[in-house]
Amino acid sequence: MNSAFQALSMGFRTTVGNVRANKQTFFISVMTIAISIGILGLFLLIFLNLNGFLANWNKHVQMVVYLDNKISVDNKESLEALFKSNLEIQSIEEVSRDQAWQEFKGQQLDKNGLNIDLGFNPLPASYKIRFKDIDDRSSYINEFAKKVRLKPGVESVEYGEKWIARFESFMVFCRVLLLGVGVLLSLGLILIVSNTIRLSIYSRQDEIELMLLIGATPRFVKIPFLLEGMLQGLSGSLLSLGFMGAIYFYLKSEFHSSIEAIASGIDFQFISQPFLLILVGMSVLIGFVASYISTYQYTQIVNKR
Amino acid sequence: MIQLFNVVKNYGGGKPALDDVSLTIEKGEFVFLTGPSGAGKSTILKTLFGWEPFESGQILVQGINVGRLDTRNIHTLRRSMGVIFQDYKLLQNKTVFENVAFALEVTNRDRKTIKFKTWEALKNVGLTPKKDALPAQLSGGEQQRVAIARAMVNAPPIILADEPTGNLDQEISYEILKLFEEMNRNGATIVFATHSQEILRPGKHRVIVLNRGKVVAS
Repeated sequence: MNSAFQALSMGFRTTVGNVRANKQTFFISVMTIAISIGILGLFLLIFLNLNGFLANWNKHVQMVVYLDNKISVDNKESLEALFKSNLEIQSIEEVSRDQAWQEFKGQQLDKNGLNIDLGFNPLPASYKIRFKDIDDRSSYINEFAKKVRLKPGVESVEYGEKWIARFESFMVFCRVLLLGVGVLLSLGLILIVSNTIRLSIYSRQDEIELMLLIGATPRFVKIPFLLEGMLQGLSGSLLSLGFMGAIYFYLKSEFHSSIEAIASGIDFQFISQPFLLILVGMSVLIGFVASYISTYQYTQIVNKR
Repeated sequence: MIQLFNVVKNYGGGKPALDDVSLTIEKGEFVFLTGPSGAGKSTILKTLFGWEPFESGQILVQGINVGRLDTRNIHTLRRSMGVIFQDYKLLQNKTVFENVAFALEVTNRDRKTIKFKTWEALKNVGLTPKKDALPAQLSGGEQQRVAIARAMVNAPPIILADEPTGNLDQEISYEILKLFEEMNRNGATIVFATHSQEILRPGKHRVIVLNRGKVVAS
């Protein structure tokens, strides 16, 4: 335990020395990580806000069940019993044919200045159903709609499923895009950081050779470089997220009302804490993997000469 | 203590650097390895501490089969040896004290032990007044004494020296030789590679003569 602590403490001291000796390379590497994490963070920010928008939209989805004009009393009662037995339904509003027609006529008069009088009522009676806030709301509504459609006396059921399906498939596309960008940027970062660490290794080649000659373990030799890679990852991600956070809060305070108008009541969110931790952790991990590759290759070459 | 059986080492050129070399060095022995340039003196030393692989044969150092060690456990062999080079291999950005202490630091010794043992080693080579100097501020002989202190600080049972007097004048070479003899009296086995006839002349120690990768006299 004591020797591990000592190796780590010496590793830290050597890491600080390495960073001082290769300030410029370290800075370039940190900036590259910061930009890459920034790009990834931006994608994540857009994705999370779109996801929030979808969730909010889902909350306002209501199901409209249109009834056949000739629906029997028994069928209507059976339908109402089905609604009432469903514990996930928040409210049921019955709209008669007359109410629907009056609402429609009122809307046409207000919006288009049309005073419609057909001499008959073409609209069906309906039920407007609102659901409680439950997990996987849209697929639940979808399943329930299938049941309702099968009931006799039901003409049609609508809840904007096409739009929801399109939006959801768009979100799947975003998820895949985010993953793809994340993987590509991570690979790029691994290459960049491993090259930076390689430069650091070559600048201390004599010392490393001597360490190995006088009995240092490969782990002892690797520790300072692994710490350096992790430090690059940590600094890059913190710099990037700090910068993004500053821009986010600036935009939110300066353009609060414009954002509010565009997003229509939806809160424009920053990357949530778990995702922030994931980004920082991922960046540190990338630094570790990259430096591990470089140091492993180097110690293998030196020891096998 | 050290045994080589039919060792062959080839660098890829025409003639092998070590051509079927077999020899034995007993515990506590002081042995000179000598021969002209390219005879294989340095190569033998490098194979002994696992710095150079060899094609065939077997090397046993204190019962450890060197050819079977890999990167994960080669340090166990190297910790049982102190190695001294002609070019000293001192770290130029570290002081004399730090250079010697480095050998203890890499083996994870505690600070108190590092301080005590480093001081002792510097005292043995007469360099305590220069403990804060950088290598560039020292003469060749002093630099070699720092390298010797670094090799002996861990009190290894085996000391390998590759032309340690190669860059030094005769008087200083004898001083350096005395340090090795002192270590030998304290129980260390010494393998001292040199091509200097002056060093060999007193004839106090066994001499192994190499030529073109072969042992020609022992």
